[in-house]
Order: sequence, then structure tokens, then C-alpha cells
Amino acid sequence: MNTIIRLQDVHHTYQAENSNGVKALQGVTLDIYAGEYVVILGHNGSGKSTLAKHLNGLLVPTQGDVWVGDGSGGVMWNTKDKARLRDIRSSVGMVFQIPDNQLVATIVEEDVAFGPENLGVSHDEIVRRVDWSLEHVNMSAFRHRAPHLLSGGQKQRVCIAGTLAMQPRVLVLDEATAMLDPLGRKEVLAVARRMNQEEGVTVVAITHHMEEAIEADRVVVMAEGRVQLQGTPREVFSQSGRLRELQMNTPQVTQLAHALHERHANIAPNLLTVDEFVAEMAKNAPPRPTSQSPALNPSSPISDPVIQVQHLGHYYMVDTPLQVKALHDINFEVRKGEIVGVIGHTGSGKSTAIQHLNGLLRPHEGDVIVLGHDLSREDINMKQLRQRVGLVFQNPEAQLFEHYVGDDIAYGPRNLGLGREEVRERVRQAMEAVGLGFEEFKDRMTFSLSGGQMRRVALAGVLALQPEVLVLDEPTSGLDPFNRSQLLGRILALRERGVTLVIISHNMDELAQVCDRLCVIADGRTVMQGTPREVFARADALRALGLDIPQVTDAMQRLGAGTVLTVAEAATLF
Amino acid sequence: MSQSTPIARPPRNMRNEFELLRNVTVGQYIPTGSVVHRLDPRAKIIAVLILIFTVVFTKSLIALALLTLLFLGIVLLAKLPVRYVLRGVTLALPVLAFISLMRVIFPNTGDDGGKVYFSWLWMSVTRASMHLLVMGMIKILAFIFLTSVLTMTATTTEMTHGIELLLKPLEVIKVPAHEIALTNMIALRFVPTLAEELERILKAQASRGGDVAVRKSQWNPFKAARAILPMVVPLFINALRRAEDLVLAMESRCYMGGKGRTKFVQFTARPIDYVVPVLALLVFIVVVATPWPSIHTFVPFLGL
Repeated sequence: MNTIIRLQDVHHTYQAENSNGVKALQGVTLDIYAGEYVVILGHNGSGKSTLAKHLNGLLVPTQGDVWVGDGSGGVMWNTKDKARLRDIRSSVGMVFQIPDNQLVATIVEEDVAFGPENLGVSHDEIVRRVDWSLEHVNMSAFRHRAPHLLSGGQKQRVCIAGTLAMQPRVLVLDEATAMLDPLGRKEVLAVARRMNQEEGVTVVAITHHMEEAIEADRVVVMAEGRVQLQGTPREVFSQSGRLRELQMNTPQVTQLAHALHERHANIAPNLLTVDEFVAEMAKNAPPRPTSQSPALNPSSPISDPVIQVQHLGHYYMVDTPLQVKALHDINFEVRKGEIVGVIGHTGSGKSTAIQHLNGLLRPHEGDVIVLGHDLSREDINMKQLRQRVGLVFQNPEAQLFEHYVGDDIAYGPRNLGLGREEVRERVRQAMEAVGLGFEEFKDRMTFSLSGGQMRRVALAGVLALQPEVLVLDEPTSGLDPFNRSQLLGRILALRERGVTLVIISHNMDELAQVCDRLCVIADGRTVMQGTPREVFARADALRALGLDIPQVTDAMQRLGAGTVLTVAEAATLF
Repeated sequence: MSQSTPIARPPRNMRNEFELLRNVTVGQYIPTGSVVHRLDPRAKIIAVLILIFTVVFTKSLIALALLTLLFLGIVLLAKLPVRYVLRGVTLALPVLAFISLMRVIFPNTGDDGGKVYFSWLWMSVTRASMHLLVMGMIKILAFIFLTSVLTMTATTTEMTHGIELLLKPLEVIKVPAHEIALTNMIALRFVPTLAEELERILKAQASRGGDVAVRKSQWNPFKAARAILPMVVPLFINALRRAEDLVLAMESRCYMGGKGRTKFVQFTARPIDYVVPVLALLVFIVVVATPWPSIHTFVPFLGL
């Protein structure tokens, strides 16, 4: 196999004004071979995105060299050679995290044409390449659309088409799936895999989703700006202890296989997919002691409902030619002290639905009653409602605005007109609830914090209102496994303090673990409700809606072991 | 869940205080597939420019009235809903009212005002000032009309390409035609994205007890500025972050300025695309060259 990209002892230090700079890469030596599918894993801040930007000369090493070739084994160009940048960038195409920020044109096909236009390709050839690229990402039907009318996954596929139109030999996906819902992620990965297998395009995918690594040829794990571990997915995932040190985890099935292997040595520990696991269990599983289905969660005592939503309907752009009905018939109920999960793919209306809970939107049809406030009434006390029902949006760090952390968190309490001391006390409590020390962090600059810390500041900003109900839209999206489980732990601790929680999430593993009940929304209607066990038992119905079930639940169902929600629970069955 | 019985309620308020793009009608493309829509954008831009000049140079109220009728004809030809086009005009009403008031408060004392209809202290309304006022109003309405017709029948993308192609010959004298067009395109591309973003920010801050609209009581400009910071700061920070990302994405796709670029979009002009600007030019010549009778000749009959 010929090397197509060669990194030799690459260091990169970001210059900072009044310090020694941040060492993002500290000696990476790595060869990418032509035709390979490589996945680079690493926690937030491990240096993996800095590495990606070296692959096509967006960044050049502060020490060491990066060489890019055409995979023929012939000449390779150094990315420091400015005269070769056009060759390098047309042969290494890159797709970034946020699809919105990569689209240049107001029409899909024109955006795809942008790259070839820059390369000075003839008009007829551009037309041919645009057709070809859109065809390969399955977006031909949308060629005349405006990008902002597409879903995240569709936009990201347009970005890929824009890169393919330059006919690159390497496709780099720099966390290109991080902002997408499971459906969008699957679409994008399918395109990458197809380009790799059918067109021989080398793929380098940077991610912190373990599942994306399973089908790779090679997995490279980064931490502290260095390559810590590499090998086939099986080799890498067999080192679960080492991975945990590197703040990564392993797929649920692998965790389960490890747990079972400790008690039943004949079960292989290195299993990666549900298929493998089911086959292995069919062969080597010990007979299950009892065939009883797993113990039910101790049902919590029925408490008073704090949220009642009945036949909720909502329209957007009322009285314009663009009027649409976003919600048709939403029904759910949340009782005091419960954790309720809301599931649905992007565009199902779940975000619209939860914006009714603190009066950002008013019901156009049906009833929404929250903590005794009837949202259909004109005269409700909005300020009081919003104080009692906290709402945390997706990526809430994007709404921070104050210079200092403490001031940002104090925004809510100050709006309530509280006194200085009271505000200070609430800020302190909120910061402690999210695990940020008051004295240590209150005077830190908001925008110098890491992504995970900013997320916690934003959460504290809502907690400082001391809400009785907390509604969270995708609280853990975009975080690596370590930060995700930490934040989730903090959120769950709020329940002990009597806060009722409503969580929207695409992460079924998390919901299965923490929720008392789930509400599934599709096309503006509530289509399923019940305990996680009841809902996940209907795996086929969920799949028909484009939704997933946890890997371990899937595996256990296929073994006929009933509906199991967590790895720990599954391990007790054998 | 218990069956809810329908309760009689007063009609609901369907307003949504966070929907930002609802009332903007100027600049929205309305696909009706009419003859006007199918014109080459270059032809449309030139024709509209000529017609705007015509309106500017017209001194006769009669000619202006005829022109307005012509524009109404174009709107009908383009199959645009007239009421929708007029909605854009209503946006300009406060400005028009303000202009009228100024004319009354600060009358042009230099010329002979003719018949005086009203006078108090230094303020007055004369026949001449009324004439100017009416002319001014109709001209402004005509501008709004023309620009609406242009933007409602040509997509922003067509406009951008049209402008780029029209400016192309001027590159010789260092007019950055490509850069102007690309900047324009990117700005248009990000309008809906940033509007969505602003909506999200407003909602998030409202959720934290913030006031979306600056309170009426806040006459103190410092306090007022302070109150909009929570909305504006995140919007700017995010816009800058997006801009940084966009630069990386454009560089990755080999963008290195306009030199040596080829174009995907190409327009081929049909005979009609030459006819339309020529017609507009004819209108211009006829309007400017005709010795229109003054409206004042009719005024005595009308009793004014």
C-alpha cells in the first residue's frame, strides 16, 4: 500500500498573546495509506481537530513536516510549499463539524460547483461533476433547493458533494457527524463508506463516537497531542482500561462481552457488533439460570402532575403564504420528581412542543397546563412561569454573553430583581450544582473556558433561577463520552433536590438509563408513551420512525431475553 | 390520560413574538412562472434601472400617473398578488407621513407657492408644496413597486449572478465584480441562518427572565444598550465564529480569489431579453421628451 499522507514528528503550538502558547500537537508521526478508512478518536481537546487541519495545509506544523501525495507512490508535496497548496487541497477534501458554516451559495447545485469553479474547470466539466457528486450523496432531487431548508444530514451531504466535485483522493471528515441526529449521522457515514469502497477514496474520519470506529480499517486514538493507541478496531477496543484512561469508552456490546468473559471464560471478550455478539452467545452462552424477564424498576409512587399537555397544536408563520402546522396532537404528562425523556428525529416537532412549557410559544389548539398556569390564557404571569420552569436550549454555550462567568450566571437572578446577596448566593449554589467552584470560576473569562465548561456555565445560568421543572434540549450533544457522563451525573443529582426533569435526547443509551417515562413524537404527534422498557420493547415501531434503540437492548431482544436497558442489567442475566 | 372535553374559549392570539421574518415582504421571491420571471436577470436589472431613472427625471404628475399604471400592468403580467406587493408599501407609510409633516413645518419659502390652503405661524400649505409632496410620495411608492417586482420575480441568486455579469466589463477599471457578487451571495446565504440564531438567543434569554423588547420605561440610553447586550453579544460572537469556519471551508475548497475561476451558472439571452431593456429605454425617452401639460392647467376646473 502506498502512503498518501505522511506526518513526520508534527508539532503545533497555537500562539497566545501573553503565555507560551498552547501545545496542541506534540510529535505526531502517522502514515495514511491510499484506499484506507481511518478513524481518529480522541476526547475534546485531544488535538484531533488540529491534526485534521494539517492534512490539507490549513495549518502547517510549527515543527516537523506533512507530506501529501496522490497515492501512486510517486512524488509527495510538503504542505509548507505554498505553490502546491492548490494541488494539496484538491486532493485532500475536508468536511467540517457545522454544515451551515461551510455552505457558500444560496442554491445547492451552485454550492457544489464552488470548488471546481475555483479550480478553473471548464463549464461542461463542472456540470458533469456537479451531477456526479450530487448523485453519489443522494441529493440530486434537492439540487435547486436553498440550503437553509434542508436537514442537518442533508446539508452535510451537500458539503461532502462540494468536496467530491473537486475529485479528491482523500476525504477528511472533521467531526462531520458531531452536530447531526442519528439519522443524519447514518446518512453521512453511508456516503463516506460507499465512496471508500466503490470509488477507492481514502477516508479519514475524526470523531468521538465509538460506533463510527467499528467498521474502520484502522483506529487511531489521540490524547495530549499524541497518538496513544492504534490498530484495528478489535485491537483498540480490547484495551478498555487504556481507553478509559484516555477518556474514551467502548461500544455497549464490547462492555457486555467483557463483563461476561470475566465470569464465563469461553465467551470471547472482543466483540464489536450486535451481530457478532448474538452469534457468539448462540454458540458459547451458558444456559440462563431463569428465563424470567428482568426485574421491573421499582415504580415510583404516583405524584401530582406538574405538566399536562393535551391535544396540543401549533402553527408557524401564521397568516403568511408560508404557514405550516408544526404540531398536530401532542399529549403527555409529567409528574412531580419524574424524569421524562422526549424522543423524535429532527423536525418531528419535539423542540416546538417543549417551547410551550415555559410560554415561549402559546398553544394554538389544545391545552398546556404547567404548575397550575394555563398557557392558553392571555393573563398568565410569564415572569413567574419562566422562573419556575427552566429551559436549557441545545448548545446553550452559544447564548453566553458576559465577560465573566459569575456575571453571566447572575443574569437570571438579577432579572428577578433579587438583592445583591441573594444573587450571589444563588450563583454560588448554581455553580456548585454543575461542579464549578465558585471562588475558582466566578471571575474567569467566559470565553476562555473549554466547551464542556461553557456548557456547565450555561446550565448554571438557568439553575440560578431555582426552577422547579428543568427542561433540557440535547444537554450532552457534542461532548465526548467522559464529559457527557459527568454532565449527565450532575443533571441527575438535581432530581435529588426535587427538580422535575424533561430531557430531549437522541442518545438512547442515556435515556434508557435515567428516564422514568418516555414520550415519542413523530410528525407533530405523540405516537408512543410509557416506561423505557415499554417503549424500547417496540423496537420495530421505533425503527420505522427512524429511531434507534440501545445496542444492549437490541442484542438482548435478539437473544430472546426480554427488554433490557443497561449493560449492568444484561450482565446479571447470564 | 383523561379525555378532555372541548371547552368554549375566546379566539386565541396566534401571534408569535419571536418569529422575525414574518413581516418582511420586500425581497421575497414569489414563483409564479410568468413571462417576467423567465426574463434574463440582466435584462430585468437594466430595465428596472432605466425605469427608476425615468421616475426620477419625471416632472409631470400626469406622466407619473401613467407610469404608475404601467407598473401595475407589469405586476399583473408577473402574476404577483397585488395586495402582497402593496404590503411592502405600507411599511413605508410612517416614512411618508414624516416627510409630509416636514414639508408643512418647513415650507420652501423661496418660491412662489401659489394658492395658500392653510397657514399658521411660519407653517403653510400651498399649491406648490402640495404638488411637490404628491410627486414625492408617488415617486417613493413607484420605487418600492419597482424593486418589489424585481426581487419578487428574480431569485437572489439570479440577481447576484446578473449583477456580477453586468459589472464584469468594469473589472478593467478595477471594479471587483466577482468579490462584490460573492460577498453579496454569502450575505444572502447567512440571512436565514442568523435570523434563526437570533430567534434562538431571544428565546434563551427570555427563558432566563430577560426582556425581549427593550422596556418602554427605559429612556436611559445606557440602560437600554445594556438591555440588548444579552441578545447582540452572542449573535456577534457566533457570527464571527461562523465567519472563521467559512474561511476554512472556502480555503479547503481552493478558493484563492476571483482569478482563474470559471463559472457554473451561465445565462444565454433570448431576443426578448434584448427587447425589454429597449422598451424601457423607449419609455424613458417618451416620458422625458414629451412636453406634458402641467397639472396646474387642470387645477382650476377641479376647483383647487
